[in-house]
Formats: sequence, structure tokens, C-alpha cells
Amino acid sequence: MSSPGVYEGTANAVAALMLLIEFGMLRQALVRDQVRLYAAQSALISVLAVVIAAVRDLPELYALAALSAALKVIGVPLVLRRLLGRPIGEDTPGVPGSYTLGPASAVLASIGLAAFGFFCFGNLGIRSAEAPTTALAIAGAMVFVAFGLMIVRRDVASQAIGFFSLENAISLAALVVAAGLPLILETAFLFDLLLAVVVFAMLIRAHHARAESLSTADLTRLRG
Amino acid sequence: MLGIILALLIIPLAAGIACFWSPARAAAGITIGSGITCFCLVIALIPEVAHGTLNYLSYLRADAVSGIFLLATAFLYAAVAVYAAGYLQHHDARYARRFYLGFNVFAWAMLAAPLMGSLALLWIAVEVTTVVSALLVAIENTDGAAEAAWKYVLIASAGLGLGLLATIFAYYAGAQVLGAHSNLTIQPLLSAGPRLPKTPVELAFLLAVLGYGTKVGLVPVHTWLPDAHSEAPTPVSALLSGALLATSFYAILRFYQVATAALGTGLPRDTLLAFGIASLLLASLYVFGQRDIKRLLAYSSVEHMGILAIGVSFGAPVALAGVLLHVMAHAAAKGNAFMGAGVFTVKYGTKQMSAMRDGLRLLPWSGPLFLLAILALSAFPPSGIFRSEFQIVAGGLSSGSDAAAAVLVILVTLAFFGLAAAATAMVLTSPPREGATLEAQALGVETATIGGAHADGAAVAVKSRPHAARPLTRGEPSAFMVVPVLAGLAVLVLLGVHPPGELTDLITRGAAQLGTP
Amino acid sequence: MSAAVPIPVIQLLQVLTVALGAPGVMGVIATVEARLQGRRGPRLLQPYYDLAKLCRKEALAPSGASWFFLAAPLVAVTAYLTIPLLIPVLTTYGLPLGYMGDILGGGFLLSLASFVVATAALATGSPYAQLGSSRAKTFSAIAEPVVLFVVFTVALLTGTDLPYALAATVRSSAGQVIRPAHLLASAALFMVILHETGRIPVETHTGTNEFGMIEEARSFEHSGPYFALLKWGSMLKQLILFTILANVFLAPWGLASTQRLGAVLLAIVALLAKAAAIGVAVAVIDNSFAKLRLFKITEYVSAAFLLAVTGVFTLYLGGG
Repeated sequence: MSSPGVYEGTANAVAALMLLIEFGMLRQALVRDQVRLYAAQSALISVLAVVIAAVRDLPELYALAALSAALKVIGVPLVLRRLLGRPIGEDTPGVPGSYTLGPASAVLASIGLAAFGFFCFGNLGIRSAEAPTTALAIAGAMVFVAFGLMIVRRDVASQAIGFFSLENAISLAALVVAAGLPLILETAFLFDLLLAVVVFAMLIRAHHARAESLSTADLTRLRG
Repeated sequence: MLGIILALLIIPLAAGIACFWSPARAAAGITIGSGITCFCLVIALIPEVAHGTLNYLSYLRADAVSGIFLLATAFLYAAVAVYAAGYLQHHDARYARRFYLGFNVFAWAMLAAPLMGSLALLWIAVEVTTVVSALLVAIENTDGAAEAAWKYVLIASAGLGLGLLATIFAYYAGAQVLGAHSNLTIQPLLSAGPRLPKTPVELAFLLAVLGYGTKVGLVPVHTWLPDAHSEAPTPVSALLSGALLATSFYAILRFYQVATAALGTGLPRDTLLAFGIASLLLASLYVFGQRDIKRLLAYSSVEHMGILAIGVSFGAPVALAGVLLHVMAHAAAKGNAFMGAGVFTVKYGTKQMSAMRDGLRLLPWSGPLFLLAILALSAFPPSGIFRSEFQIVAGGLSSGSDAAAAVLVILVTLAFFGLAAAATAMVLTSPPREGATLEAQALGVETATIGGAHADGAAVAVKSRPHAARPLTRGEPSAFMVVPVLAGLAVLVLLGVHPPGELTDLITRGAAQLGTP
Repeated sequence: MSAAVPIPVIQLLQVLTVALGAPGVMGVIATVEARLQGRRGPRLLQPYYDLAKLCRKEALAPSGASWFFLAAPLVAVTAYLTIPLLIPVLTTYGLPLGYMGDILGGGFLLSLASFVVATAALATGSPYAQLGSSRAKTFSAIAEPVVLFVVFTVALLTGTDLPYALAATVRSSAGQVIRPAHLLASAALFMVILHETGRIPVETHTGTNEFGMIEEARSFEHSGPYFALLKWGSMLKQLILFTILANVFLAPWGLASTQRLGAVLLAIVALLAKAAAIGVAVAVIDNSFAKLRLFKITEYVSAAFLLAVTGVFTLYLGGG
């Protein structure tokens, strides 16, 4: 089989690494580790943006990479640490009962989800000039695994991290398919994400203050 | 006109910020002022958009369809602002400040969304409404509110994530034709319609219906809706049901326009029909057996959103006109219903319908008004909802979707039974007899007449429930909570009997814009 | 030196290199690990001395053990010594006996050896040996899908599953080295190697290990020369797996492309150096992580499976 060029191989490798980090978030028991993985994943988005900018000659992407790094690698973990503090502190144990399936089973189930997403998005026949199609398929797999993360984990912080990584997956898809989106719109998306992070953190804090834990096992009052 | 649009974008935000630094009474006044001003501004905008599309600064756009949604949102903003003044009179200043800040910012985002000319900015506006309304849902600080807020923000944000993906694929489709730096403005996308590549547009439309449909409350992604709408404070619930669902539906309508321009009418209509029937069916069934009054009304909202989706899927001009009229009529009717329900919950101290009895006598204004509001909501003539649903069904029959139209009529009737049964139980039936004193029985606890009812001091102390904390007196909690409902009912009757000429022009033009393939 | 080495000699040299180099690689790992811990550690050639010592000792067998018990180490070593004939150890071109089997064939031989040893341990009736062999079989069954997916990656990349072909493909361009499928398959294979050779995080070689031992326990009942054969067998397995990882996936350079004596000698040195480098990496990992609890080994294997599956997926749409 012919090999992809170095550029395509690199872009796909970075995307695959992001997908693996997504699975890492699925397995991690501690929220602070999940936040670190999220920072790593966001850093990889910036790296990919720089690679695409360098090879495909889109100087706007440099600015986007820098802004994205500032907001998502530094800003979001900082906001989470400030607003959440104790619930995700250094010596907080993992949330008991946080896994509905065990880590191994969750990974295997998510592999199924990822496969579904991968082939759904990959077989659409969408060819982008900026990045290889496999990266779009990997982004699709990441979207499904992020949903899986929100489903199988039963504590609010993991669910929030699942949503943030969903946004990362969509950013990856945007890099592949919409690399030319005007910078002002991309900036607006990033600031909007930061606003969402603040609101999520406030709600998590309220939940933690009320229930003294991050678990959602008791959120069963409203039914029918 | 640019001035009006800019004013619409600035006033509610400024009002919100001002409310945060003001005492409670002043905040209520500022909000009411802002609401009424915005409503008047939108009315001034109507004649312009009824005859043409306005484009400013390359990112602001107003056409007939936006005008309809703006009208619905602005009316509800004004009415609920008045209502909130009465609802909040027993809450402390800190609560009131945060409430009014959130309330105004929420209204600002909802007014901004129809004015955004780019799909990307539209997404951002809807996302802002999500986060602000999530905080408002949680403001009551009870267990139920916290749970509802978390579910809401998680599910709605995940859905909007899919909506963002839809926006990105729409960009991709547009970029193939319009060049790499298209900024997703709606008009160029519509003009380029048939030249857009098919698969990305299909994908974008499906993701948009699923994603924005989460915020509209389409089944099966509606699961956050009954919780959030029932646990939020009533003014917020009214805005959520009446205006936010409509604003999210507006986003779906924009994607629908692009999709029909690019793909023809097959896939878009079938998708909307499927989601609409599912929503209508499930909501009509769930309306029975509800015990919480606001949850009941929330399921009714799901039902009406289903009706909107079905109406759009019919595609005939009269059906589309019905849909646009329904947006406005539903805003007024659902707003009325929630406001009335709010009076009941304040009066009886609970949201459980089993505890609410004898409304006709205890709430001489709100009781019958609530009953009328529910009847109007269930499409009793001469309410505007009757007119709009009639138009939708007529459109369905004329475009050949007889089966779907029949299903719609049956399910709407089903939902009517559920709603009416609950409402009449609350308003017209007398409380259970055990524990009632002899005195109460002698006074005739059965339905009294309303004639000439005033909230006078002739309070009759009756034990309405054996274990009530205190006896319920006859009288309205606040005049502020009655006037908006009266206004809403007047609007509904106006819409049903004889919509003003300008409004009809607006609707006709909007229907034409939606229907042009 | 430009003398041409005849092909049968090269084949023999492949087997001899692996046979004689295996204890040396084990010695390197032990020494590096000790140095990292701040100790002087054993001599580099200590495993040779250990094997020699064991051969001089008396062989005992439990009463009731059949001929199978004594035959198992011989069968295992024979299988292990056959594998170097199949994989690219010294040369880039296929050798005649190399077409006896492909990667799957090599995998079968490895499994045969492992099966034979485990069954022999079961036959003894000793509790520790039975514990070890049942655990070993369970965990290798769980790890099989990973190996299969790695093989699939190879097959998708080259259209065959001959290891020589994959090595040639990887050598052909820089793009081949960096392609995600290749990197992911290599990572998955490395995790499987850690699992198969019984290193951290699956099993520990030092300290008391009764409760966690998997591989170690199977050889509890053998003694004397048979025990030496078993130890030598596990060293052979280690070097074989390292050879596959190095010469087929990660660094297929330095192999002899001609029959010249100089090239062949260079290939021998290169192989041992690459194996030693992998050994150093394994030693570093040994010192950096703790052993996983037994039931968490499934999580470890699922992570390896994830890597392998992702590698296969990225190949499917091209561009992987």
C-alpha cells in the first residue's frame, strides 16, 4: 500500500493521538488527571493547527493556534482549578461509583462507538484540501467517544470534561474541513467556550456544595 | 432601521448590567421598561421587514422570518417582565439582582439570535442563551433545581456541540462554492443553493435538526425539557417555553432554508416530519398522568414544537403561514399558561396539581384566566392557536400529506383532553370534603360566581385542605401577575379573529421565504 | 571483507545469533536496571554462568509426572529456535527456510511453546505451578486479539504478512515510518511484548512475587538441565520478540542486503545493539512503574487493544 506523505502521516498521527487521549480520559479515575489530559489534547490541536498553517500556507491558523493554546491549554484548566478548587484538588480521591462499566469494558464499548463514528464520517466522501480525510474520520470517532465519556461516567466533573473534549473533537473537525473560517468567528467560538466553562464550573460547584460529592447517582428526583 | 436593530441589541444587555447594581424595585422597573421598549422597537421594525430584507454591517440581517420570532420574543419579554415584578416581591434583594441580570441577558441573547446574519453567530447566540438560562434554572437553589440545571446544561450543550458540527459542515459546503473565506452569511448560501455539494449539506441539516432540536425539545432529545421548565422560576419557565424553544427552532428553519435550496424538499421535509410526529406522539401521551403543573405545561411545549416541525414539513404556503402564526400564538398562549400556573403555585405553595382546588373562587381573576389560557392553548376557537393549527392542517391536506394531518388532529385532541382535565380540576372542582369545617360547608364550598370580583378585604377563611399550613384566602397575590395574562389573552384573540394587516403581510412574506425552493 | 557467505551458513548464523545472544540481552537488562537503582548489579554475562551452573545440577521430577513433563522444555526450546528461521534477523532478503511460515506461523510456534510449558506445569499437581499456568493461559488468551490486530496492520500495510515484506516497506520512505498505523501497531506490539515476557507492569522479577506471578510460576517444578532449558527458552522468547519489534517495525536498518561477510557481521552486531537498546527501555520502564494488580491487567491489555484497533482503522480509509 502506498504510504501517505509525511504531512498526511503527521496530521493523522496527531489526530490519532488526540483520540487516544480521549480514551485516556475515559479510563482516568481522578478529575485532575482528566483536566491534564484535556490540556494535552488542546495542546495537540494547536500543534496540528501550526502544522497545517506551515504546510498549507494559511497564516491565520498561527494566530488561531496561539489563541487556542492560551484559552484551552492554560485558561480552561486555570478556571477549573480556581472555581472548583477542592473537588479537583491534589489529594481528592476518585469519586466512588463513578464508572457504570469498568474501565476495560468502557474502553471496549467505546472502541465500538469509535469504529461507528470513524466509518460514518470517513465514508461520506468529504475531501478537504487542507487535511487528510482520515483526520475527519478520527474527529468523528472522537465525537462519539466524547459522548460515550459523558454517558458511562457518573460524576459531574467527568461529564463536564466529556463536553469540553467534545468541543475539542469538533475543533479537530473544523481544522480539517473549515480551516479557512474567518479568524473572528473562530475567536468568538473560543470565548464562547470559555463562558460555557465558567458556567459549568459554577454548576459543578453548586452541586458539590449541595451533595458533598461529585457523583450524580442521587440525581433521580425528577422522573416521568 | 440600523438604529433600531442596534438598540435591540444593546438595550437588554445594558438593562441587565444596570439591574445588577440597582435595588430590587428599581431593577424591576428597569426590566419592565426595557421589555416594553424592545417590544415597541420590534413593532417599528415590522413594516420594514414585511416588505424587504435588511442587511447591515455584513453580520446583521433581518427578514420576515426573523421579524416573526423577534415579535414573539419581544412580546413575551415585556409581558413576563411585568409578571416578574409581582412574582419576585417576596424574594430578597440578592436573589432579585441576580434574577434580573440573568433575565435581561437571557432576553438579549434571544433577541440577538434572529438578527444574526451568519450561521456561526447564530450558534453563538443560542449557546449564550443556553448557559444563561442554565444559571437561571438553578437560581432557586433547591435539589430539584440543581438537578434540572445540570441535566439541562449538559444535554443542551452536547446538542449544541452537534449544532456546531452542523455549522462547520455548512461552512465546508459553502466554501466549495463561495471560496475559502465565506463567513457563513445566510443570503449567499441561499443564492448558491443548487450549486452546493449534496453530502455536506445533508449532513449539516441532519446534525442541525438533531443538535438544535435538542434545544427545541424534539423527541428523543427532549429529556431535559420537563425538568428544566418545571424547576425554573415561573417567569423563566415562561420565557423558556415561549421564546427559547422558538429561537432554537428559528435556527433549524435557517438550516432548512439552506437545505431545501441545495437538496430540494425531500430529505428536509421527511426529517422534520419524523421528528415532529415523534414529539407530538410522546408529548400527548405524557400529558396524562402528570402531577406537577409546570411539567404538564412543559410537555405541552414539546407537543407544540412537534406541531411546528410537522407544519414545516407539509410545505404548502398556508401551512408555513400557519407555522409562523403558531410561533407567535404559542408564545402568547404558553406564556399565559405558565404565568397563570405561577399564580397558582404562589397561592397554594406547591406545584402539585392535586393540592390545587377551587381556583375559581380563591383566585377570582387568575383562576378563570388560567382556564381560558389552557383552552386557548389547546386550540379552542377563537384563539390564535386554533387559527394556526387549522392553517397547518389545511396545508397538510392540500399538499397531500393526509395521513400526517389526520395524525396531527388526533394527537392534538388527545393532548387537549389531558390539559383540559387538569385545568378544570384545578379551577372548577371543589376541595375534598374531609376536614372541612361545618362553617365551610354552610358557606357553599362549591363553585361561586365570579361576578364583579375584586381583591377586596372580604377574605373568607376556609380550610381548603385538612393539612394546609394556613387557611387560603380569596385574593390575587399581585396585580402584576394578572395584567400580562390579560394582555396575552387579548393578543391571542386578536391573532385568532383578525390579525392586523401588517402582521398578515409579514407572515405571508415569511412563508414565501421559507417555501421558495 | 568481501567474501560471500553461503546462504545455509547465514540461516545457521541467524539461529546461532539468537541462541547465543539471548542470555546476553537478559544480562544487559539486569545490569542496567541495577545501575538505575544505584547498585552495581550482576556481571553482564551472569546469565551464561547461571545456565552453565544449572546444567551441572541434578534433575528431579515430581512423582507422578509423566514423560511430558520432561519433554516440554525440549519442545519449547526447539520451537523457539525455529522462529529465527522465519523472521528477518540478519538479512533484508528472504532466506529459503524463511518461507516455512509467516508472522502467523511464528505466532503459532510461540503459542506452541507456551502451551507445552504450561501443560507440563499443570501435569505436576503442584499448586504454584498450576496457579501460574492457569493465569498465564488466561492472560495470553486475552492478549491474543491484540496480536491479531497487529498482524492485520502488517497485512493491510503490505498486502502479505511476511515479515520481510513489512521490513522492506518501512525502510522505503520516511512517510512510512511516521504513518500513524505503523506507530500505533509498534506501540501495541511493545505493550504485548511487556506482557509476554513478563515485565513490569504485568509481572515482577524481583522480590517476593507469589501472589502476582504468572510466567515465573510455570517453571517451579523443573530443576537442573530442564530448568536451564526453560530459562534459556524464556530468554530466547524475549530476544525473538525484541527482534521482531526492532527488525520489522521500529528500526529495520542495519540488516545485510548482500551475502558479504562484512555485511553479515555488521548485521549481527546491529541486531544485538538494537535488542540491547530495547532492553534498556524495558529496564527504565521496570524502574518507573509499579506492577499492576492482577485484575487490572485486563485494562492494560484493553489499552494495547485500543492502540492496535486504532492503527487498523486509520489504515482503512487510506492516508493512515
